[in-house]
Amino acid sequence: MATFIEQVQEMGLKQATIAKADEVVERITAGMNINDIRAALRGDEPRRPNPRLRPHADGFWLHIRPSFYHTEVTHIYPTFRLGWLSTWLFVWETITGIFLMIFYTPSPVAAYQDIWNILGNVPLGQLMRNLHRFGAEVMVLVVALHMLRTFITGSYKKPRQFTWATGMILLVLTLMLSFSGYLLPWDQLGYWALTVFLSATEAHPGPEFIGRNVGLLLAGAPQVGAGGLLRWYLLHVLVMPLLLAIFFFVHYYKVVLHGHSLPPGREEIGEDTAKRVPKEERTYFIPDILTSELMWTALATLILVAVPLFGLYNAPLESHANPLVTPLHVVAPWYLAWSQGWLKLADKTFIAFVLIPGLLVAFTVMPYIEVGKSRRYIDRRLGLSVSMAFIVIMLISNWMGSPEYLVASSPDQEVFQEILPQEGHSVLKEVPYSELRPGVYLPGQALPDRYHLTHALHELEGAIFTHGCFMEGKGKPNPLHLPACRPVIQDDGSIKYRTYYTRDAMPNPEFQLIIRQFQANMMELIITAKVEDPNRPGEFLINSQTVGYRHQDSNYEED
Amino acid sequence: MQVKIVIGTVAFMMTMMLFGYAALREPARLERFAAADLGRNIEKGAELYVNNCATCHGAAGDALDCFNAAGEPIACIGLPLKDEYLLCGEPSNRLIDQDYKFTVRDYIYGTIYAGRIGTQMPTWSAELGGPMEGYEIENVTQFVLNWRPELCTTEGPPPYEWPLTVTELLAAEGVTTPGDATRGAELYDRTYACTSCHGNPAQAGSARVGPWLGDLAARGGSIVDGYAAADYLYESVLAPNAHIAAECPTGPCGMPSGMPGNFGTRIRDPQSMIDLMTFILGNNLETTGVEIEYTRR
Ligand code: HEC
Ligand code: HEC
Ligand code: HEM
Repeated sequence: MATFIEQVQEMGLKQATIAKADEVVERITAGMNINDIRAALRGDEPRRPNPRLRPHADGFWLHIRPSFYHTEVTHIYPTFRLGWLSTWLFVWETITGIFLMIFYTPSPVAAYQDIWNILGNVPLGQLMRNLHRFGAEVMVLVVALHMLRTFITGSYKKPRQFTWATGMILLVLTLMLSFSGYLLPWDQLGYWALTVFLSATEAHPGPEFIGRNVGLLLAGAPQVGAGGLLRWYLLHVLVMPLLLAIFFFVHYYKVVLHGHSLPPGREEIGEDTAKRVPKEERTYFIPDILTSELMWTALATLILVAVPLFGLYNAPLESHANPLVTPLHVVAPWYLAWSQGWLKLADKTFIAFVLIPGLLVAFTVMPYIEVGKSRRYIDRRLGLSVSMAFIVIMLISNWMGSPEYLVASSPDQEVFQEILPQEGHSVLKEVPYSELRPGVYLPGQALPDRYHLTHALHELEGAIFTHGCFMEGKGKPNPLHLPACRPVIQDDGSIKYRTYYTRDAMPNPEFQLIIRQFQANMMELIITAKVEDPNRPGEFLINSQTVGYRHQDSNYEED
Repeated sequence: MQVKIVIGTVAFMMTMMLFGYAALREPARLERFAAADLGRNIEKGAELYVNNCATCHGAAGDALDCFNAAGEPIACIGLPLKDEYLLCGEPSNRLIDQDYKFTVRDYIYGTIYAGRIGTQMPTWSAELGGPMEGYEIENVTQFVLNWRPELCTTEGPPPYEWPLTVTELLAAEGVTTPGDATRGAELYDRTYACTSCHGNPAQAGSARVGPWLGDLAARGGSIVDGYAAADYLYESVLAPNAHIAAECPTGPCGMPSGMPGNFGTRIRDPQSMIDLMTFILGNNLETTGVEIEYTRR
């Protein structure tokens, strides 16, 4: 070929430059020159031989993508773009994750302060952290929905059983990827969620040394510490993403190998025509699928950015991890809360080592056992009903995992927890500092011009309402209109009071909120609880208080 | 397809605009979060202080009202921390008296971290076997420093202008001499916690940090030439560094004095000084009339 100089001599500088640019573009796209790209974008017919197939044949990025799809699978139904979205979320998490990595040190002496540094010192740091955490949760949701859709459209059936099986691995990896990041801020939330998670190793049914050593391996020491943090960091940034990438390619290779399954009604029962696409039903990857994927990516990204930016999602950050202080309620992230719900009902060993692994295996091998030929909805009423029932059970289990179900602590502590918990959101701490003025306040009290404090006192009233009850005839008024107490004698002879809402209600509880100036720019918030024993006047069933501090600048409003 | 390109391009541009919008509001937001970081550290520090330090340094940090675990009032054995002598100025007068070359923050952090050998101030750092991690010590330190705004800006009533001789002190307006030894004992035990360093004057060997003062009446007149016991005591309280005692319970007393130099401002009236002196020396407050080495700040 002629050198650039020779071309300039031959065609003049302008023409030669254009020709050179064309050549460069063609090299980068592995086969399409500028005119081909413009034609594709305009929607023109390709020239012959079709240059739009060459990036698939010769290029790295597209060699794994099919050069055309069956037109039927390019609409929103049946894929809902969920598989593509899962892939994009993985990429998105990698991008935002690398940003966070730059400012993070996996050490107990630095990690927590690093997160605060990201929030208060790194430009766009808070946004990046929110994007990463929101993306992680959305990814779990999207992957689960993708799984649901492949189930509903019967796409797991022969010949795609193995695709489904690799999908199960991806599901577990996605959950572990999300969960392994939970510990990294080194706050009470992640620390105790992981500690509780690891305590499952103690319930191991086999020889004691197995559970002990697996526990040691995962925690780095008998208790999660510097070693544990480093291990979970490496799992999160290295092992899990690597495994996920590997199994993604296996998964996706199988998808391409078998072709996207057509909508169930499109084929004869028992037939799989995905690989035999008639000419007139082809939709080519370039340009149609490509533009459509880019559009969905752009739209998804817009939502992923807008939701956290406008405060609709905020990554939580509790106080510094403290092995000596167990928070009252240790809650798993929502995508694992169902397991916590189950643990309240049944034995730990059974749940952690029989039920959950059993379910995972059952799901994985399901396509090899459920061999009904038809993918049509009408023929799969039982299977579809079971899946819907399963979803409902999972949602209920998730609710059971929350502290609302089967609370273990005392009613006064529960009220404190709802208004002024040691960790997590507190309606009281979120009251702007200017509304916190020294004084004694009562539940449900309305304060002119102090909207947020009024709201907090209203919430306090609501919390007392669910955990308190009213005893007639004690000469006391019932200003909060509490439900009547129903005494129940316990096995040990003591009396508990029930209401419609709780089995352990406080009779005629007296709560107060006391606000005191503690330092020039800090208030002390005290909630006191007093419950007199209805049967022994002058003696208290409950006489407790909880204390919190609120600095003028703490900015809980933005949490 | 053209529609998709348009939607995709618009969505992309909107995302970029969102980032731009985020960048615009970033400076103010960063400031709020940096302040929130400090604010929350101070809150944690308050919790730690109330649970660990208030028994010795007082609930309000002024070493005036201390309670034991059962809620009964006890003598405060720690020094006041909510104290302009310690906190105000960089270096504060406390640091100058101690000849300490770093910042007030370092002084406080270091004291909490290591405790103070030979005193009742415990070691807190987990690295030295105490109960607190580094971040917790930082939190309490920030809490103590947070007394600065109310302490270092507002002007309290001016300290009493101490005369330079005991003769003038005893002749000050409205004082009765000799003083009230019972009230003096109260000041010695509780208000100024001289006990925590000098022990109980009625019990030899009870001192921990400074010399035992039970025999000061007998030996006080022969420590510095030309000083009677009362002159020496008066000077020791107002200006510990003027003459350093020879023997402390933990060995020779060194320079600078381990005794805080701010009693001149903490003791607010001449009667209290006389009561204190009466408690230590008895009714005989004889003076040679010598001028003590004391410069008012
Ligand atoms: C058992 C009693 C006790 C407890 C508990 C205690 N301290 Fe002290 N602290 C002392 C004593 C006594 C001193 C004076 C030491 C000396 O003689 O120099 C002191 C001195 C200090 C000083 C130096 C003051 C100065 O002006 O030199 C600081 C700062 C201090 N304590 C902070 C704390 C903090 C913060 C805590 C809680 C974490 C705490 N202390 C708990 C007894 C205590
Ligand atoms: C934080 C510990 C501490 C406290 C509190 C303290 N002192 Fe001292 N004091 C010392 C030390 C150390 C010395 C020895 C060094 C020196 O001479 O300055 C000393 C020296 C003295 C001396 C000289 C003793 C001698 O034998 O030469 C007198 C008198 C004295 N203190 C009185 C008091 C009185 C009165 C109070 C209470 C108002 C008090 N001190 C509070 C630590 C303390
Ligand atoms: C990180 C997680 C995952 C990624 C990135 C991913 C990606 C994809 C992609 C891109 C497709 C192409 C078709 C489509 O968009 O629907 C696909 C198809 C498929 N996926 Fe996944 N997937 C993941 C998890 C799962 C899970 C959890 C399952 C089920 C257990 C699963 C089962 C399948 C099946 C059966 C198909 C074939 C669908 C068909 O041919 O119609 N995948 N996956």
